[in-house]
Amino acid sequence: MAQIELSDIRKAFTVRERPEGRWGLLKGAFARHARTVRALDGVSFSIGEGALVGLIGPNGAGKSTTVKIMSGILTPDSGACVIDGRVPWKERVAHVAGIGVVFGQRSQLWWDVPVSDSFSLLRDIYTIPKARYRARLEELTEALEAGSLLTTPARQLSLGQRMRCELIAALLHSPKLLFLDEPTIGLDAVSKLALRGFLKEENRRSGVTILLTTHDMDDVEALCPRVMVIGRGQLLYDGTLGGLKRRYARRDGQDIDEVIAAMYEDLAL
Amino acid sequence: MNKTAKAYISLFKIRVAESFQYRMAAFSGVLTSLVWAFVDVVAFTAFFRYGDRAKFAGGLTLEQTISHIWVRELLLFLQPFSIDDELLLKINNGDMGLEMCRPLDLYWHWFARSSARCIVMFVMRCLICFAVGFIIPGGYGARSPVSPGAFWLFVPSACCAFWLSSAYGMLVTAVRANIAWGDGPMYFMLLIGQVLSGGYLPLQLWPNFLQPFLLLQPFAGLTDIPARLYIGSMPLSEAWLGMGVQLFWSAAFILLGKRILSCRLRTIAAQGG
Ligand SMILES: Nc1ncnc2c1ncn2[C@@H]1O[C@H](COP(=O)(O)OP(=O)(O)OP(=O)(O)O)[C@@H](O)[C@H]1O
Ligand SMILES: [Mg+2]
Repeated sequence: MAQIELSDIRKAFTVRERPEGRWGLLKGAFARHARTVRALDGVSFSIGEGALVGLIGPNGAGKSTTVKIMSGILTPDSGACVIDGRVPWKERVAHVAGIGVVFGQRSQLWWDVPVSDSFSLLRDIYTIPKARYRARLEELTEALEAGSLLTTPARQLSLGQRMRCELIAALLHSPKLLFLDEPTIGLDAVSKLALRGFLKEENRRSGVTILLTTHDMDDVEALCPRVMVIGRGQLLYDGTLGGLKRRYARRDGQDIDEVIAAMYEDLAL
Repeated sequence: MNKTAKAYISLFKIRVAESFQYRMAAFSGVLTSLVWAFVDVVAFTAFFRYGDRAKFAGGLTLEQTISHIWVRELLLFLQPFSIDDELLLKINNGDMGLEMCRPLDLYWHWFARSSARCIVMFVMRCLICFAVGFIIPGGYGARSPVSPGAFWLFVPSACCAFWLSSAYGMLVTAVRANIAWGDGPMYFMLLIGQVLSGGYLPLQLWPNFLQPFLLLQPFAGLTDIPARLYIGSMPLSEAWLGMGVQLFWSAAFILLGKRILSCRLRTIAAQGG
């Protein structure tokens, strides 16, 4: 059985809205409309150990929702999800002990204390043996060139510096699985390249399975042999980036972003 | 040591380190409360000197009342005045869901964090209050504990107060996490706690017929019970009852808080992204 198995996952959110129009505000005080947003509408896929998969799709497609479900912090309405033999939301603590998660737009570091304090706290939370922790920290700080950042409080780091620290935090306990939701958001060219290089190397060396979402097609091109396209809560494409290009490119040598835009258009997203 | 316990202790420590940055907040808070305490002391002195003594049914002397006020100031930060601002922020912006990425029980995770904040404020404030309240001359300052025995029972009782206050703070946090429509109920709960803890008026100065209820209700343990032991208005032989009441309500708050929080977690959705 593959490391990650999702089948027919569905998740709907209820969004309360105020009625429109002149008296909307008043009406809204008494009767609220509840609209249902189907964020995931039957998503199935499986991912094998050691894979590097890119999850792309337009805004609001359901990428983050998928990642949250796989991380055990969101319970789907129906469908099955088994990761390493566990159902994430049912055995949450055991599940999250073996995965690493980074949400590019959120920080999971402790804000006011030096980053190294956050790391040693994580050592205790994940019960990493001292010697292993030291070796791993050294290895990661070296690979991400983060040695000089350790004494700075997270609050004072720039976006790119913080992201490198978030990655170290997510990998300290050597998880078998790494979920990254928009890890390259807001990074400059140099940092992006460094991050990609690091992820690729980490995947090759420790065999960690990586699933990342991104809006930067260069990330996918550089990193992910396999791409999944999600749109309107459904999985629309699952294969190589080359295959995707062949199917949707309108002419040879077309820019990858144009191909993706053409695809979103074709699929009426 | 149990491995999970170690994680919670580390969480506690990191939050303590973080909280020492709020020195100024603690300091200005202390100033306000010192002024209040002083006004209280002066007012009670006037009541006792010129008022109708019979109205104070509790049988506390003026000295005891003044000591009670200063001990109350000392313990004041053990009364939850608000819930941990960091946790409140996480509840409001949906980051609460992200906390579940950690292999920890969310209740104890948050308990460790909010109680750490509480203890830091307490320590900083304690030092200042002690410096002022116990040195003021002319009968306006606190007396020392009635006996060494009273002191040695006051200390564990104050520790129980800290535990109780953390448990109540977590209950309020859990309730707050369950309602999407604002802070009202939270402040109401906190206010009840402050009033019934004897924070405004020593409980023994309340009407006589309420006394049994006042001693056994959950909030007496926040300040009044340790203060009673300190000023000697609770016989040392009854200290076990006082601390029993404190521990009983701590356990009750913890059970209830855990129940309410896990209720919320079942429907949680990390927002945004
Ligand atoms: N907590 C929530 N409450 C209500 N609706 C939500 C919630 N979270 C997500 N949604 C809705 O679910 C849909 C999918 O959201 P999701 O965050 O998964 O998109 P996404 O693919 O990550 O988009 P983006 O690329 O913009 O990050 C959106 O329509 C969004 O409005
Ligand atoms: Mg997203």
